[in-house]
Amino acid sequence: MKNVIVYVEQKKGATRKVTFEMLSEARKIADALGGRAVAVVLGSGAAQVAEQIKGYPVDAIQLVEDPAVEQFLLDPIVHYVELAAKNVGPSLILIPNTLSGRDLAGRLLARLNAGVAADVTEIVVTNGRVECVSPKLGGALVTHCVLRAGDYGIATIRPGAFTAAPGGSGAQIERHDVSNATYALAIERDVEEGSGEMALEEAPVVIAGGRGMGGAEPFTSMLKPLADAFGGAVGASRAAADAGWVSYSLQIGQTGKTVSPPLYIAVGISGAIQHKVGMRASGTIVAINKDASAPIAEFADLTVVGDAFAIVPELTKLVTAAKQ
Amino acid sequence: MKIVVTVKLVPDPNGVKNIDPATKRLVRAGVETVINPYDEYALEAALQLKERVGGDSTVTVFCMSPESLKESLRKALAMGADGAVMLSDAALEGSDVWASAHAMSLALKRIGFDLLVVGGLTDDGSTGAVPGALAEFLGVPCLTNVRKIDIADGKVRVERETDGGYQEVTGALPMLVTTALTIGEPRYPSLKGIMGAKKKPIEMLSVADIGAGDAVGAAASKTELLSFAPPPARGAGKIVTPEDPAAGAATILAFLQEKKLV
Ligand SMILES: Cc1cc2nc3c(=O)[nH]c(=O)nc-3n(C[C@H](O)[C@H](O)[C@H](O)COP(=O)(O)OP(=O)(O)OC[C@H]3O[C@@H](n4cnc5c(N)ncnc54)[C@H](O)[C@@H]3O)c2cc1C
Ligand SMILES: Cc1cc2nc3c(=O)[nH]c(=O)nc-3n(C[C@H](O)[C@H](O)[C@H](O)COP(=O)(O)OP(=O)(O)OC[C@H]3O[C@@H](n4cnc5c(N)ncnc54)[C@H](O)[C@@H]3O)c2cc1C
Repeated sequence: MKNVIVYVEQKKGATRKVTFEMLSEARKIADALGGRAVAVVLGSGAAQVAEQIKGYPVDAIQLVEDPAVEQFLLDPIVHYVELAAKNVGPSLILIPNTLSGRDLAGRLLARLNAGVAADVTEIVVTNGRVECVSPKLGGALVTHCVLRAGDYGIATIRPGAFTAAPGGSGAQIERHDVSNATYALAIERDVEEGSGEMALEEAPVVIAGGRGMGGAEPFTSMLKPLADAFGGAVGASRAAADAGWVSYSLQIGQTGKTVSPPLYIAVGISGAIQHKVGMRASGTIVAINKDASAPIAEFADLTVVGDAFAIVPELTKLVTAAKQ
Repeated sequence: MKIVVTVKLVPDPNGVKNIDPATKRLVRAGVETVINPYDEYALEAALQLKERVGGDSTVTVFCMSPESLKESLRKALAMGADGAVMLSDAALEGSDVWASAHAMSLALKRIGFDLLVVGGLTDDGSTGAVPGALAEFLGVPCLTNVRKIDIADGKVRVERETDGGYQEVTGALPMLVTTALTIGEPRYPSLKGIMGAKKKPIEMLSVADIGAGDAVGAAASKTELLSFAPPPARGAGKIVTPEDPAAGAATILAFLQEKKLV
């Protein structure tokens, strides 16, 4: 394992913040291994994304502008990343730890007979040995996963765990030919529901509401103004999404988004383990909950016990005033 | 239709987790073993499909786990699965995702299936890489995070959740799907189910039965895993019960200003 490949997730020419974080980390790892760092961008929007990432310190950006990437389920992506890996040779492949990222990691693992380290927040290279650090079981333990040196390795990277740092002398853009492979699983319909998705993972402040909100209305009339006062975004617990109060794209936790903003305010959320794993790495956690014994009080930095409907509007006023 | 559901046995997600400072491993003693919560949704989806498709459809649960945990699998039978197969062998110890998925795929080939229903993520390892790896090793299409499944004439039409919406995709059997939680809340076992489960078969398979040879366990794994106690938790938080809402809001603002967050 000498080189590093970054799989750049993109949709309609836009990518996520985790891409820049991975590109920056890839440079450090490649330097430590004495190899190259290569980004792979696939699909119709690939050229547009290549422009956005070329200020980051990778050696090359491989592009394949194949519309099949949007027309079929994952198979074309698996195919192209496998090809790229086989061209580059035994390497460490960085993939974002998202829904589709995990699918890709599993598929490649079998095709490349690779090891996988999941939900990685730190990578340490010592004398060619790649060790990936991940918090597990809601933070009850930390695993160090060593990827075998002679094989391919895959690390799924937790969004927000690494720092994005532009730089480098300009990556070389390499256009690759569209493959004549055929794929079976055509996407017949692709519906976008939530729009706040990118904003949520990238917001500096997340105001998350739970079952304690009692309905959809408080998310727009109460939590949104507080989020606006901070310049942040609104998120939710699974209970709130299941109740249909907000779109699933706002859900934070094991089966939703992982966020780690500098400030997380949980409003009427009990702090179940499945919620905790998605927000535990936030810088500062504040909870507003009428129950002092809710599990969230065990890991929040500050818990204010009381009725959210009375406290939040007051807080919005104070924050708005303080920011002026 | 033969439906097989994969189920992992994990420490109770709500149980207290401690690390033994000597072995650096999770202390299993005193923590109940349960079916991975996500896999109960996969099982629920399979049971609903069986009810809808009817005929001679069956639901078989498959689990790779130490034999000592066998009884924890009864709940799946009590929920309505027709039978279970367990792959247990000391040689499987220390398997990583590659080695686990590889061994599981050999067992699943032997069991045979039309539809393989897999959970999305486990509560312990939580790599989420097993489903994709299984699909590749088994050479079947892989449709993940599915919330709706319709089967007619060997064609499977699914609705799958994406990061920001959903997609509709059609594929052919045999296939692997993973379920989203929105597929439906898992049922509770009925009293009749619980009684019946005691008599349902749990077939045991060994590494020799599946012909995995040496490709098992820690030696065949592509990773080496060490676990540690987490770094010291963030300083114990403050819990404040304010006089009135305004005081509560002021407490938060003062705290955030002290941390330079406002
Ligand atoms: C496999 C699996 C995956 C899951 N994945 C996720 C996930 O990704 N994300 C997730 O969030 N959950 C997930 N869950 C669900 C999780 O277990 C909890 O059920 C859920 O997080 C609870 O949401 P909640 O805190 O909003 O609701 P509750 O647990 O009902 O808590 C509501 C809280 O609001 C407080 N409250 C009520 N009224 C007020 C008020 N007026 N003012 C202040 N406080 C008030 C209450 O005291 C209580 O603490 C998952 C579960 C399973 C089984
Ligand atoms: C704390 C911890 C951290 C770990 N970290 C890593 C790591 O970074 N890399 C690595 O290679 N291995 C790791 N492992 C080992 C890994 O968990 C096992 O190899 C495991 O069998 C499969 O991985 P998973 O739990 O991540 O499954 P996931 O991929 O999260 O599981 C998805 C679905 O696959 C099915 N499934 C998974 N395992 C089984 C099973 N044994 N029997 C039946 N169905 C199953 C279930 O339906 C499940 O919902 C770790 C284990 C632990 C306990």
